[in-house]
Amino acid sequence: MKCARCLLQLCRLRLGGRSAPLVRSLPSSHSWLLQHTQSQVLRQFHVSPSCPKTRPVPAEFNEANKQKDKSLATYDDLFEQGAKEAKTKATFNKVVEIFTKASVRRRGHVEFIYAALKKMPEFGVEKDITVYNKLLDVFPKEIFVPRNFIQRMFNHYPRQQECGVQLLEQMENYGIMPNIETKVLLVQIFGKKSHPIRKYERMMYWFPKFKNLNPFPVPQQLPEDPVDLARLSLTRIASDLDAKVTVYQLPCTDISESGQEITLPHVVGIQSPSQMELLAKHNPSRPVFVEGPFPLWLRKTCVSYYILRADPAPADEKKEDPYDPDRCLIYPLQLDLDLECDLGDDESFDVEDLDEGPVYAMCMTSQGDQATLNLWISGLQKSNDILGQVPTLFRLDAGPQELQWVDTDSGHQQQPDSETHKEASQPEVEIEEELTRSRGMKQ
Amino acid sequence: MPMPNVTCLTSVRLLSSIFRHHQLLLPSVASVKVPKRTVFQGEYRRPGRPKEDKFPWQKINFNFSKGLQGIKKHFTLLKKEFFERWVGPQGKPLLEHILEQNRVIWEFRGPESLEGWTVSSDREIGGQSEVYLKLGRNNNTCLLYGTMSSTPPRDGETRYSGYCTMRSKQSLASFDRKKHFDWSSFNTLHLRVRGDGRPWMVNIAAESYFSHQKDDIYSYFLYTRGGPYWQDVKIPFSKFFLTHRGRIQDSQHALWLDKINTIGFTLGDKADGPFQLEIDYIGVCKDYAHTEEFAYELYKRNPEV
Repeated sequence: MKCARCLLQLCRLRLGGRSAPLVRSLPSSHSWLLQHTQSQVLRQFHVSPSCPKTRPVPAEFNEANKQKDKSLATYDDLFEQGAKEAKTKATFNKVVEIFTKASVRRRGHVEFIYAALKKMPEFGVEKDITVYNKLLDVFPKEIFVPRNFIQRMFNHYPRQQECGVQLLEQMENYGIMPNIETKVLLVQIFGKKSHPIRKYERMMYWFPKFKNLNPFPVPQQLPEDPVDLARLSLTRIASDLDAKVTVYQLPCTDISESGQEITLPHVVGIQSPSQMELLAKHNPSRPVFVEGPFPLWLRKTCVSYYILRADPAPADEKKEDPYDPDRCLIYPLQLDLDLECDLGDDESFDVEDLDEGPVYAMCMTSQGDQATLNLWISGLQKSNDILGQVPTLFRLDAGPQELQWVDTDSGHQQQPDSETHKEASQPEVEIEEELTRSRGMKQ
Repeated sequence: MPMPNVTCLTSVRLLSSIFRHHQLLLPSVASVKVPKRTVFQGEYRRPGRPKEDKFPWQKINFNFSKGLQGIKKHFTLLKKEFFERWVGPQGKPLLEHILEQNRVIWEFRGPESLEGWTVSSDREIGGQSEVYLKLGRNNNTCLLYGTMSSTPPRDGETRYSGYCTMRSKQSLASFDRKKHFDWSSFNTLHLRVRGDGRPWMVNIAAESYFSHQKDDIYSYFLYTRGGPYWQDVKIPFSKFFLTHRGRIQDSQHALWLDKINTIGFTLGDKADGPFQLEIDYIGVCKDYAHTEEFAYELYKRNPEV
């Protein structure tokens, strides 16, 4: 490399020496000669001398770029100009194609690939394997493949290899599995034992191992419809296959008599038979609470749900139901064997049990105010008669939804929080109100 | 004449504002309790921050009352250690120690149980995530909550960020000797958690011999269901894979359970927003149905050399 540079300088010197007398004798031909000799001589060294400092700005963008100093034009601008109309996969591919076809040498392709990687999320193509393959295709083939053992021993073309690794790393971060085309391209560009190939092999080893690990899988594409989304999330959190989803209200937009638009929120609830059984056993003198909203994350979307629950029953009210011997006549449901248990047979953890009170039902709605949740409770009442006699309390946090401010009347559930800075940053208002549901509404 | 005066003033004010800014920044960094680190393992120095120009002995607090407290603390620990041996290994009778099928390592039943834990987020490296640890609703669970933000710090070097971590402190015997957990008679980690649907990572750090292995961590995933119900998670130790500073290693090795230092939980799922994880207890148990020794190939490196 160094000797090549020396030769280059020599050439220039010779050129300068030769052209100096020419200037004296033939000033008119000087510029032509210089241009001519430069373009001829320097071509031998794989550097194009015609624009040593300019980026290869394609012809399509040349008009817009004339005023700017071309040496400072970056590849980000290329994408900005290419995406004047719309940022889509088509325009992204077009920009890549324009760069590939702009010159045979593809000077600055490493910078171009870095810029493209950065711009990918903007164009919405960060999860597209074909686009990554197309970007890899920008690398010139077979130049970076080491040819002898010394090149193989040292890091051959480190910047290019690093760029390739970073491309693969971005694929890894977005969870995209490389395919056989990626491998073929990488082998063509960097050779069989290069760093990008190593990275590819690592990904191909670990990705399939961890691919289907999640015991609670979330679909890649979440449903658009809020009711479907609510149904999906409720069945996920219910952890009971018998649980039944009920849609209490479908979302719709109405225009009232006065002309204003009324949007009715969706109300979707879930309740399992065991929850209904628990609710039927609830002591009617003790209140049940509607609490929420609680967040639930499905990949990158956050939804919120509300629960109907009760405080744990006091110790004196707790009673174990004796087994009904008629429930199963074939074999006894309860065995009273006095077996000597060894210490080694103890399989349970020595922890105090948490008693947080039962959960009776869950629901999701787009509008978490009390009126909407009331709709849910009255819907639940059809299948659970006891809710007509139980006082219902609403403990709603000011969550993502806008809530009307209601005066709080009791200091219930206001725990002393040592972290005041958290409180200050995220004001959490606990709205708590005894529901004054009249008897008339219940009957 | 007044011009230079004014400029001088403004520059002074500017300096003071910078200084104040620094002061504002520093406590927020310092308040995050960092576990005790060795000399070699200094705090992460952000790109652009100057090196601390202090000799190592200047950082030591030579306080008489602190020394007295230390003597008291260490000799109490030593006494406890000495008399524990008379009862049996690890302060338990021998029969109980041999026949033990499961053990609760950490349970959160009161404010003192949070003292053995430390939280940190990418704020240490200049990010914007926040993480806090407190007791749950009835003061008998531990609630890890905060906000996740994957905005990388604007230092020109860091490419991505966004993590929140809770890690147990290194347990220490008398005179600041390291104390390890010996879990070699168990094969499964048992957790009782309640999350919000986000995937977490469980990290176990074991004692290592060489100092370049100090960041070796064995990790596995913890998927939470979300919702109001508690979730019992059993993770066999054979599934844990070796990572070093966030990268999976090519040559894997099974986790040796005889010297376990810390356990940690990390969130880094790149979904910006609030998160929470409630932990009831962390225990280890012996699962007779599980006979696997290590879940990944050991007979070759991945990829092969």
